[in-house]
Amino acid sequence: MAIKIDEDNLKEGLLGLVVALVEIVEEVLERQAVRRMESGRLSDEEIERLGSALSDLNEALEKIKQDNNITDSVRTVKEGLDQIADDVVDQFLNPERWAQDGGDGKVSLFRGKD
Amino acid sequence: MEETGRYLYSVARTRDEVRLGVIGIEESPVYTVPFQDIAAVVHSCQPVPYGTKDQKLAEDWILEHNYVIDHATKRFGTVLPFSFDAIVRGDDEVIKGWLAENYEMLSTELHRVKDKDEYSVQIFYDDQKLKSRLLESDPGLKALKEKTEGMSPGKAYLLSRNLDIKLKDGLALELARLGVQFGKMVKELSDEVKADERKTWVPDKYKDKKMLASFSCLVHHDKVESLGLALDEINNMDGLAVRFTGPWAPFSFTEIGRS
Repeated sequence: MAIKIDEDNLKEGLLGLVVALVEIVEEVLERQAVRRMESGRLSDEEIERLGSALSDLNEALEKIKQDNNITDSVRTVKEGLDQIADDVVDQFLNPERWAQDGGDGKVSLFRGKD
Repeated sequence: MEETGRYLYSVARTRDEVRLGVIGIEESPVYTVPFQDIAAVVHSCQPVPYGTKDQKLAEDWILEHNYVIDHATKRFGTVLPFSFDAIVRGDDEVIKGWLAENYEMLSTELHRVKDKDEYSVQIFYDDQKLKSRLLESDPGLKALKEKTEGMSPGKAYLLSRNLDIKLKDGLALELARLGVQFGKMVKELSDEVKADERKTWVPDKYKDKKMLASFSCLVHHDKVESLGLALDEINNMDGLAVRFTGPWAPFSFTEIGRS
């Protein structure tokens, strides 16, 4: 499947991909931060610092997206990566279906006899 | 030039050798080649595939292909459709031979799809609306939303992200639950169902929504109304929309292999 990156401008496309990946990592960091906060192991000051750092990161990413006009392409990349992740998980669950489909250009980690 | 190929549209339940008119691709005369009580719907052609770089022409051909299938369906009942551009090298006798060789399989398939049509069911959801509903219905989440008043900015940010994450996860669970519920309902009201798990293309009309589930259904004539009513109910739910299209010939539910 094609990840839709803005092919008219490769630099923009690469930036879009990088920002999308950073946003995915950002979400992982946020989830981890929330878990720690809810566990009660953080002091008020630590919560404030963590929150501020994540807020700054988010602001910086939003600015990069706006300044480079890549908000839409970042969203598209993330949706594409979502689909790939779904497909990979599905391969683990339904290997027979993927064996039938084989060789139509879809993502395959198990190239098997190919 | 002798036309030593046959373009295959479908296999129908009929004993009759009939001419259906010049309704085929490129105004080709379409007719049936029967064997006992089944017949292939064909037109004569050169034994080469129809190919073109002209997008509009290709689309016209596909429309013409589907038109013949619909016409045959109206005349003979549900048919076993071929995909576009199924061409066999040979003449009517070759077609008869193929029908004879595969008679059991074709007759069984025709019986299986008798009085049934294929329909497409797609259910879309509005991300924001469903999240709002979740927020309203969950006191824990509602409380989380209120908590950020008068808080230090870093903590407020973390709490708002916490809420977003919980809404996102809650929505994912709800969508999975709805998917199972709708899948069950569609299965009960159809004769056969295939879940299109990898279709994520959203038609323009539903551009502001996302795909919740997509099914191809084989439905008996008598059951279509019930399915339509049930889907109407879903369509009327806040934040959901249903696209119910058909009837089509049972492309997704039959596979006529060619030797």
